[in-house]
Amino acid sequence: MDPQQPAEPVYYICGDCGMEIPLKPNDVIQCRECGYRILYKKRTRRIVQYEAR
Amino acid sequence: MQQKRRTSAGDLSHLRELFRHHIESFDYLITAGLGVMLRDIKPVQVHNPHTGETLRNILSFMILFSFILLWFADDPILGRPQKDRSSEPLYPFECRQTRISYTGKLLADIYFQRDDKAPVREQLNFGQFPIMLMSKCCNLRGHDPQQLVSCKEESSEMGGYFILNGLERVIRPVILPKRNYPMSTVRNSFRDRKEGYTDKAVVIRCVRDDQSSVTVKLYYLQNGSARLGVWIQGKEFLLPVGLILKAFIDTPDREIFASLTCCCNEKFEKDKGAVATQLVGERAQIIINEVADLGLRTHLQCLEHIGEHFQPLMGGLENEPYSVVGDAVLKDYIFVHLDKNEDKFNLLIFMLQKLFSLMDQTSVLDNPDSLQNQEVLLPGHLITIYLKEKLEDWLQRTKKLLQDEMKKESNNINFGSVDSLKKVLEKNPTRQISMAIENMLKTGRINTQTGLDLQQRAGFTVQAERLNFLRFLSHFRAVHRGASFAGLRTTSVRKLLPESWGFLCPVHTPDGEPCGLLNHMTRTCRITSYFDAQGNIRDFSKIRMSILNVMIEVGMTPSLPMLVHAGPPADLSVLLDGRLVGYISSKQVERVVAHLRKLKVSAASVIPDDLEVGYIPLSMGGAYPGLYLNTSPSRFVRPVKNISIPAVEGQNIELIGPFEQVFMEIRCPDGRDGGRKDAFPATHEEIHPTGMLSVVANLTPWSEHNQSPRNMYQCQMAKQTMGFSLQALCNRADQKLYHLKTPQSPIVRTKTYTNYCVDEYPTGTNAIVAVLSYTGYDMEDAMILSKSSVDRGMFHGLVYQTESIDLSDTKGSKSQRLFRRSTTDKSHHSLIDSDGLPYVGQTIKPDEPYYSTYDEIKGAIRTTKRKGSEPAIVDYVAIDGKKHLQKVNIRFRHPRNPIIGDKFSSRHGQKGVCSQLWPDIDMPFSGVTGMRPDLIINPHAFPSRMTIAMLLESVAAKGGSLHGKYVDATPFANSEEKVNEETNGEKSKTLVDELGEMLKVKGFNYHGAEVLYSGVYGTELTCEIFIGPVYYQRLRHMVSDKFQVRSTGMVDQVTRQPIKGRKRGGGIRFGEMERDSLLAHGAAYLLHDRLHTCSDYHIADVCSLCGSILTTSSVQPQIRVREMRGLPPMRAPKKVTCHACKSSKGMETVAMPYVFRYLAAELAAMNIKLTLQLSNATGA
Repeated sequence: MDPQQPAEPVYYICGDCGMEIPLKPNDVIQCRECGYRILYKKRTRRIVQYEAR
Repeated sequence: MQQKRRTSAGDLSHLRELFRHHIESFDYLITAGLGVMLRDIKPVQVHNPHTGETLRNILSFMILFSFILLWFADDPILGRPQKDRSSEPLYPFECRQTRISYTGKLLADIYFQRDDKAPVREQLNFGQFPIMLMSKCCNLRGHDPQQLVSCKEESSEMGGYFILNGLERVIRPVILPKRNYPMSTVRNSFRDRKEGYTDKAVVIRCVRDDQSSVTVKLYYLQNGSARLGVWIQGKEFLLPVGLILKAFIDTPDREIFASLTCCCNEKFEKDKGAVATQLVGERAQIIINEVADLGLRTHLQCLEHIGEHFQPLMGGLENEPYSVVGDAVLKDYIFVHLDKNEDKFNLLIFMLQKLFSLMDQTSVLDNPDSLQNQEVLLPGHLITIYLKEKLEDWLQRTKKLLQDEMKKESNNINFGSVDSLKKVLEKNPTRQISMAIENMLKTGRINTQTGLDLQQRAGFTVQAERLNFLRFLSHFRAVHRGASFAGLRTTSVRKLLPESWGFLCPVHTPDGEPCGLLNHMTRTCRITSYFDAQGNIRDFSKIRMSILNVMIEVGMTPSLPMLVHAGPPADLSVLLDGRLVGYISSKQVERVVAHLRKLKVSAASVIPDDLEVGYIPLSMGGAYPGLYLNTSPSRFVRPVKNISIPAVEGQNIELIGPFEQVFMEIRCPDGRDGGRKDAFPATHEEIHPTGMLSVVANLTPWSEHNQSPRNMYQCQMAKQTMGFSLQALCNRADQKLYHLKTPQSPIVRTKTYTNYCVDEYPTGTNAIVAVLSYTGYDMEDAMILSKSSVDRGMFHGLVYQTESIDLSDTKGSKSQRLFRRSTTDKSHHSLIDSDGLPYVGQTIKPDEPYYSTYDEIKGAIRTTKRKGSEPAIVDYVAIDGKKHLQKVNIRFRHPRNPIIGDKFSSRHGQKGVCSQLWPDIDMPFSGVTGMRPDLIINPHAFPSRMTIAMLLESVAAKGGSLHGKYVDATPFANSEEKVNEETNGEKSKTLVDELGEMLKVKGFNYHGAEVLYSGVYGTELTCEIFIGPVYYQRLRHMVSDKFQVRSTGMVDQVTRQPIKGRKRGGGIRFGEMERDSLLAHGAAYLLHDRLHTCSDYHIADVCSLCGSILTTSSVQPQIRVREMRGLPPMRAPKKVTCHACKSSKGMETVAMPYVFRYLAAELAAMNIKLTLQLSNATGA
């Protein structure tokens, strides 16, 4: 089996109320505030580089 | 500032008008259509086969009834879309995002009645019914722009379409023959009906209240009689007219004879407008004799005769007397738009007279391809008739089920209770009905037994593409002629006819295959509906009554009770919605028509404003005369000014239809009197000449200065432009979206542009265009873009692509799959986040993995790699709430800046391909201002194409930008100035003068030309160059999506030739014609290189003894040649042997295409031997 590391949560934003929701694997996919079921993934905090041409 | 920028609801009212016919027709279905339709569905009766026995042995059988009656209640409920488990409203945004359909629950009540007991009412759920956006059942109805934005919609959302599995689909309106109007038709196929038939007939398409229609044809026979062709259950039955006439009402033969011959009068023969000849009397005699020959004398005998022959076809009337069956046939299949038999009798007499007149050539045939005799099938009406058939089918199936259940003696069901009935109903699921409608919308196909009296079975819906706003809008203004005409060889249906003036745009039709079949309605064209201006449902029977009263008041002789025997030319028949209501003296009729038009316009009258007063005047052998009044929905109408009525606060705008327009005198303010003589003064006037163009065609500035095909090209290209596609772009999950990042508002624009808020979705850029031949890279419709302008953001575009991944759809295998990242293999961790999905904002290059899934049964993690040839940026990742992380939408963004090979066009059908991004320093510059053009086009683009408006636009935009204002470029502007001309007394300036003056005031050249210096040499160009801003559009055809190049790559498994297909990295076929051209050039080496060396070059071993290439095989000898000193071990040469000759003596190697070997193998499989004869001599 995999060495069970504490899985880091991925942050999502609710499509209705805009709440930030941390989700871990096997979490129920639902906004904890309003119960909305469409969630958007938060933009990465890593540095991203684009070609400006 | 913010207040100013927001579009107010008033602004959008013009736009809303364009979508109205879609929404109103669906609203009709919701509010009234469903009820009317259910009322028209006949009850079914199930007879108990055991009742006979019941009488004898009541104790052993518990069945205590003789029949069950089933019918629908007429108050169905169509619910608003709701979320699955909760009662919260479901909004379209969610449907698009999660790829579901926008549907509401359809509930209808059904009555069960046993014997004569009280009926039991039971509610049934007919499933999830698709709801049109912005209809009365839509959750967005009545929202103001701000509310719409908060629902994640466009602020100017118009609706009119359906959402099915997340895709937006529109029902495309189709042209149908005009309802309830008897049309003279000539068709060769009529001759083939039976012996003795001619090619002439009068055809009427009768429409019931619930929009279902039945077409009846009245054929002329060579012997002078006529036959009525009626379609019953997919078969045409030909009935003698005399029989039908007598079956309608109880009337003596003398009366029939008098009615038929009333139109011939010796006094008027050969007069203008006389339609009958002496032959009519003889024909009437033949018709009457025919019935007598059948041995039928009375009304009842005729009815019973019909009933006897049609009883097997009329379901549910097996035990009724023949006369009842005969009545049912007349009611259900002949002239279904009329209720009373007297009316049907009168109409049939009228049709016979018209048929005889067509035969005697006193009137001409009606052209079925002209808009005069056409109407349109609206979305709501199509759904209504389809739903009706599905419900009828369901009822019939239920009946059959019940009957089968009762027949089973062992099955001792007591049908006494409703529950036991419902148990049977469960075998016939009610939800299928809404599923059928949804499928119809998804595929555009109708699945029907009867054909619904429609000409086509497929192609009713199209996807509403949001490529840009104009394309989206055009889907709702389009009218198709019918899919059955697309395959036709003849081009007569595609012809542009003068009858469609003002209703269908002559410019806005695609060229090529659907040319002339797919038309677009003009800007002003509307379609009549069930709703009046206040939004109330119209009561047509009431309207007809009031019209009838008005007509009687002004001197019409009513036709009921049957007393009048009159006909043209003295009297004209008056038909109101296909019902002969009376006669009017031909001397009075013009006064009556004028009176009716006056009443139409006045607000207080009971006459609806869209009443069609189709007055066909008397003529020598022209159209059959009469006064045809129509109130029906789904007619085309358009507003014109009635100048015979004094204008009081715009109270003289009249709505006219294509039927009446042909016989009206309408003046156009642009043309003079249109060749009209003083004898026929104009009674009406066009509001503005641009009313004859569609919205898209109206956007072309000064389109009247262009050659007409250029305007057609522009209509096509406007719909392929990359524009500002959507304002709610962040909420969309469309499969593909094109978006222009830096759009501009055009300096030169028409009034339509502001009127329809096109500025909300601009589609181009005001580029500084120089018309000169520079560097040679601008020849043949190529154009040079300035590199710096592109770098500054001109024409920058984006392509959004959404990928929906649903892992819950397992496709047969039982294992569940989830999104998850491997914890052991860390090689992909830079690309895939810990939830198994990509990072938002990150760039993914081709062949890089971007998500990984975990299979629960296999226990393995699989990553999926990105296909394609260009890098994409992850725009958003949306996950959809189910229990597990299984359903996601990943949207990618492809930056698409202009590159060589991308396509651009001006608004005048002048398209070109970017051939070079020219460095800014080498661009020519103006001697005065130092300005450099963004774009260079070749002067050869103008002389042959004659797009003068493009030159005008350039000068006008230059003047407009100098003065800091927008320039109005509405076509036919001189039609308005003419009024001013008279008041001012002085002659107004020409357009060119006006524009040139604007430049001159600011010190520029009057003609828009400037002195330019070469950017390369710094010398003055030898002539002045025409330069100015022109609104340019970027078209969606981009090289990045199209380029196809290959050097080496995949080959076909069988033939070893290069594969085809851009997606798989294949090549472009070098085909026979290309081969011919190389042969003709004598380029033999090149030919050999292309077709052999670079294709399936193969060296085969051939046995020269037997000449076979298939029997040879090589064997690698086991023994190794001993190692020589200092040299690597040598491999023994391959030994090739022929299995047929059992020797390796005559082995030769021959170069050949590999397919040749394949051919040999294929031939061998067919028992054909292929032998080669080898020789070294050339030419052997």
